[in-house]
Amino acid sequence: MNGVIKRFRIMAFAAGIMSLLLWFVELPVVYLLDNPELASKVKWIPFVHGYVYAFYVLAAIHFTAKARFTIKRMILFILAGTLPIASFIAERRVMREFPLK
Amino acid sequence: MNQSKGPWLKNSGFVAVVVVLALVFIRLGFWQLDRANELRELQKPYVEKPIVALSDVAAPSENLRDSAINRVVEFSGQYVAQFDAPGQVDNENRVQSWLVGLLEVNGGGAILVVRGTQAEELPKGEVFVKGRLMVRQFEDRAPKSEDQLSRLDPSLLVATYNLPVYDGYVVAKSEVLNGKPLNLKRAQVDPVKPKVPGYYWQHISYVVIWWLMALVVVFLPFYSRQREKKAKGSVN
Repeated sequence: MNGVIKRFRIMAFAAGIMSLLLWFVELPVVYLLDNPELASKVKWIPFVHGYVYAFYVLAAIHFTAKARFTIKRMILFILAGTLPIASFIAERRVMREFPLK
Repeated sequence: MNQSKGPWLKNSGFVAVVVVLALVFIRLGFWQLDRANELRELQKPYVEKPIVALSDVAAPSENLRDSAINRVVEFSGQYVAQFDAPGQVDNENRVQSWLVGLLEVNGGGAILVVRGTQAEELPKGEVFVKGRLMVRQFEDRAPKSEDQLSRLDPSLLVATYNLPVYDGYVVAKSEVLNGKPLNLKRAQVDPVKPKVPGYYWQHISYVVIWWLMALVVVFLPFYSRQREKKAKGSVN
């Protein structure tokens, strides 16, 4: 179980950071600033976020299935990766319920 | 009878929800895949298609079809009005005022034609035009007045001229009046590139996510059943 939790924690951090970058860096630069040069510098963010989220979903399913969470909780964990700080909150809750041995 | 029908109805309703959700996610994946392919197509150099008659690709009072955009078209008719269109940008980013004519097309309807970049008299008689069909503009570039267009948009003229208009406008490459070519300094424009937001690998990552979601939706009922079995097993 420790390995599963560690994988989930790593992916929750990665998904949280990528969501923050997407919401507060990439989207404002592309849609609010008219600066193509700057936009080209942040173009890696959305597709790295896309792949990180896919791995986050797999890690979340693996962890919630192992922890025998309800379907509702599993879905909430999957969706947590789409909002900037929700995955950090999910990670903190996991650490409270399943402290690493 | 009702007792046996209840769970069956409940189960079939549940299966229907799972199938619909999975199909929605699969469809969303294909949508992103189409966008990724569209982006890849846009990165290829534009290939010019053969010249066609305007009436073969467009009709008055109809929205311009995607397949008609950028086509080089030919048509003939008579000019009924002429305007200036300030604030227009050519393919070298030069801001110019364009000379724009409203031409009544033989066979019906009228179309805006960008004639050139310098003042010229309105030709009288039948004019044969060849030019590139472009999408109408949506943002004003100058104030509108009687002899000035704020943007290249035929809808601005609908109220003034009692003619059904073609959507979009044509940037003339040549005009021939009574067998003689009219030598005007023509506006130079490149074919428009429709914008698809995002990047190829970004859309592919969304394809992965949507199809992963479809798999998750199919997996969840099995997970739920397995969880219930394990719970029953631990009670017994």
